[in-house]
Amino acid sequence: MNAAVSYAVWAVLGAGALGLWAWSRSSGATLARPAEVVERLATGPLLRIGLVLGWMWVGWHLFAR
Amino acid sequence: MPADQRPPGWREAALLLAGAAYALGAAATSAFTWPADIVTAIPIVVLAVLVVVRWPRRPLPLPLPEPGPGSVSLEAGLAHRGRHPFRAWVVLFAAVAVWELAGYLARGSRGAHPTLSSMTDALDRFHALKALVFFGWLCLGAWIVRRGMRAFPAAAGPVGPVGPHDLPGPTEVR
Repeated sequence: MNAAVSYAVWAVLGAGALGLWAWSRSSGATLARPAEVVERLATGPLLRIGLVLGWMWVGWHLFAR
Repeated sequence: MPADQRPPGWREAALLLAGAAYALGAAATSAFTWPADIVTAIPIVVLAVLVVVRWPRRPLPLPLPEPGPGSVSLEAGLAHRGRHPFRAWVVLFAAVAVWELAGYLARGSRGAHPTLSSMTDALDRFHALKALVFFGWLCLGAWIVRRGMRAFPAAAGPVGPVGPHDLPGPTEVR
């Protein structure tokens, strides 16, 4: 597998995220909007702990270590 | 200027400006240095404090808007539609996690098997892009804090900042 395939998969995943976002914004969509996804995570007794820790880890991983 | 005489949205604008300035400063640091550790640790500590102070200790289920008048609970909405509104997102996040793990564990150079962090590292050479990513991280943290504060169903009262002391007693929690 070469780099082109890897980047292509990342591009597909990114396009998928954009597609889901657009779908969730359409009228009558059965898909939760991103804000609802985050809100569901942030209001779950255990999920919210994972959400906060995940945000912390991402920042530390990307910008500090 | 008194708070009631300030234009609406000034607080958000000031916070955005401060966040952008902070991100620009943070982008000037290099990873694996003390300055980078400190400028990254400060928002982490601030968010931890905000979460402890502002989030309710016992969160309530998220109401999901339904077409038509009123709203129903998330669980009722699921039963009504017969479909999970989060399923596609879960699948997408799982796919990202699997591909990230595959790239991380694959043999060979990181260039041939890029991960999210290696792609972000590539942006570090460009100060403005790194500042943009840092700013996005800050905004995401602020968004998470705000979303976690919305702990009451819309029908139960105004939605907005809710502190732990505003929560109903244990017998009132569903």
